[in-house]
Amino acid sequence: MVLKIVGSLMVICASSLMGYVFARDCARRPNELRTLQGLLQMFETEISYMSNIITEAFHNISNTSSSKVSVFFSATVKNLMGNPAMNACEAWEKSVNENIKMTALNNEDKNILMSFGKMLGNSDLEGQQKNIRLAISQLKLQEQKAEENRKRNESMFKSLGVLGGIAIVIILI
Amino acid sequence: MGIDLIFRIAAIGILVSVLNAVLNKSGREEMAMMTTLAGLVVVLMMVAKEIVTLFDTVKTMFQF
Repeated sequence: MVLKIVGSLMVICASSLMGYVFARDCARRPNELRTLQGLLQMFETEISYMSNIITEAFHNISNTSSSKVSVFFSATVKNLMGNPAMNACEAWEKSVNENIKMTALNNEDKNILMSFGKMLGNSDLEGQQKNIRLAISQLKLQEQKAEENRKRNESMFKSLGVLGGIAIVIILI
Repeated sequence: MGIDLIFRIAAIGILVSVLNAVLNKSGREEMAMMTTLAGLVVVLMMVAKEIVTLFDTVKTMFQF
């Protein structure tokens, strides 16, 4: 009997923990999209007013933020430093491909970042600024969608975890 | 066949109705429908054994 109670408590704890983890993942995505917009804004300032080259600009940006998304910038710098034959676009795409798994961003966000990378470093200052603004506005749309999703899903995942655990226990008991 | 079977079925019913409400509120009507169906299937599987014994009893009653 004691064993049964302990087992059912463990099942309920595990499933509610799972629900909480999913709920937190939902909350992470809008936050990261917001941070990414801020970082891109900073990148625009770096290249327009301070006229820094791309490695310096990215290095500064990745230093200012401790968010998970700043890893794109630091990885791009590492790629550019490590392999002189690589251009900015390739380095950016490589770093996004390698690091998107660590963030909460989904495929649509990845596509936006990829199309941002395609224009990176192959036009004049004005073209770059336009590209950055385009990426920011697209990310803003994604952020609004993600925020809506979060509102809908966060409480659902929490209650779904707990209730699912109780359901499993009742069926197995 | 014991009283605990009835209690278990009642608990599943309550749980499924709460799940249904939660899923409906977050705008996932089709998933709510699926949970209702899943609850129904689970309860039917629990009850199937009892139904078999009921049919057996009825059969033995009418076989002379």
